[in-house]
Amino acid sequence: MIEMKDVTKYYGNFRALDGISFSVQGGEILGLLGPNGAGKTTAMRILTCFLPATTGTVTVDGFDVFEDSMEVRRRLGYLPETPPVYPEMTVRSYLNFVADIREVPAKDCRRRVDTVIERTGLVDHQMRVIGTLSKGYRQRVGLAQALVHDPAVLILDEPTVGLDPNQIIEIRNLIKDLSKDHTVILSTHILSEVSMTCKRVVIINEGRIVAEDSVENLERQGGAATSFRIGLRPASLDWKACFTGIEGVKVDGEQNDGPIVRFSLSLPDHAAYDGVFKATVAKGHVFTEITPARASLEEVFLRLTRSEENGTGDSATEGGKAA
Amino acid sequence: MKVFAITKKELQTYFFSPVAYLVFASFLLVVGYLFWIVLVSSKLATLEPLLYNAAFVLLLVSPVLTMRLISEERRAGTMELLLTSPISPSEIVIGKFLACFILYLLLILLTFQYPLIMSMYAEKLDMGPIMSGYIGLILLGAAFISVGLFASSLCENQMIAAMLSFGAMLCFWVFGWAKYALDNALGEILGQLSLFERYSEFLKGVVDSGNVIFFVVFIVLWLFMATRVVESDRWR
Repeated sequence: MIEMKDVTKYYGNFRALDGISFSVQGGEILGLLGPNGAGKTTAMRILTCFLPATTGTVTVDGFDVFEDSMEVRRRLGYLPETPPVYPEMTVRSYLNFVADIREVPAKDCRRRVDTVIERTGLVDHQMRVIGTLSKGYRQRVGLAQALVHDPAVLILDEPTVGLDPNQIIEIRNLIKDLSKDHTVILSTHILSEVSMTCKRVVIINEGRIVAEDSVENLERQGGAATSFRIGLRPASLDWKACFTGIEGVKVDGEQNDGPIVRFSLSLPDHAAYDGVFKATVAKGHVFTEITPARASLEEVFLRLTRSEENGTGDSATEGGKAA
Repeated sequence: MKVFAITKKELQTYFFSPVAYLVFASFLLVVGYLFWIVLVSSKLATLEPLLYNAAFVLLLVSPVLTMRLISEERRAGTMELLLTSPISPSEIVIGKFLACFILYLLLILLTFQYPLIMSMYAEKLDMGPIMSGYIGLILLGAAFISVGLFASSLCENQMIAAMLSFGAMLCFWVFGWAKYALDNALGEILGQLSLFERYSEFLKGVVDSGNVIFFVVFIVLWLFMATRVVESDRWR
């Protein structure tokens, strides 16, 4: 459905994208993951015909974004980073306007607008002026706008940024729901978001793809959950000896909180778990907290970029695919 | 039609915000006042001074109508919506031009009250110069709008757009003065470019096809350039 081949983009002398290639099948939901400034937005803008690529080709449904830009645009729904709304319009008149410029046939217009208003939960707000809506509702209007012409492909640039936790969950559910009958590409810098909504992830850093894999594989590599946040009591016993005696174990960030001591613990591999914890309990300690430190995006990143720099050949990408 | 979708949206925006009302009110207030003053002092049943004054007031207020047309789309990021929709830059520009022009025609319609008032008192009103004057005023307004639209396409900031269009219009207004200062080809050329010189011929009751064509070409040229600027967002 979407094919991006060797896309490079320069802004003046600054290289924002460097040989990006990926493809998305119809009905797939792909996450573009990367820190701020990695080139996610640039990639999406090229895909949506808003910016031209310096080199490389992008096709959507077989149409080139540059040569057949209009055909591509007809197939896309796009939610930019800031919802492109007119603050002085009402939700309904805005969606009518978008339906008009998105070539929704006049006879279907009303039905389509009603559908998206319902789907994005804006029924009670459809007559409100957009300028008076909260950020979360504006985001929904932005999403409604991207859906109004029922596009085959949805491009969502950080759809949950700036929303409160409840709204984030609602929007994620909506995206999951949408992915049943649309091809979706969404960008984010939050790993958990990808793991909740996407099947496949492309990780971009400094304009290059550093990994392309399924969510499960990436999480496995990134965390391998060998770090824990530990709480112990009583602190008066010699708890440190239980851990430091074993090779490869690291304890840091200790904090005394009355009778409880908190610290983070890194274990060399899974095999060491049992012995360490058993020995600690045998000494008369009680665990008040054991939290596996989840693989954060930063961890995945560090791992991926590090293995790339070392050039060991066993790069994370290959490792991930093997797994 | 996508052009009309843009037009409709722009007209909505004009009337949702206080801009249109303020421009209408101040324009009619000033022009009405001048109408009264001129009529009382000259006691002549002619609309020429009024239309002359109206053009000058228009020069002052038209940047307010045009300044946000494209610059605001840039600033608010809605340009991203327009340029990723299946709508061409020329449709965007023409749609916006039409919206502003329709608003302007509405304003002109409201000034029909002055010849109407005049006709109630004048023995016999000479309709010829009034009609030609109005044709000139409509063309002049359209020319101002196209310049303003182009200025608005250049920047993100409304104030800069307003200043640009104001400066450009003033230039085309005063170019004609070179005719009196310079007795050479340059003076002649600048005189030809003067919107004011051409407009004043309409006020005298002459609808010269050359002048009409000049205005039409002038309008199309600025709209074309605005289209190119909007389009260039994609290459840059």
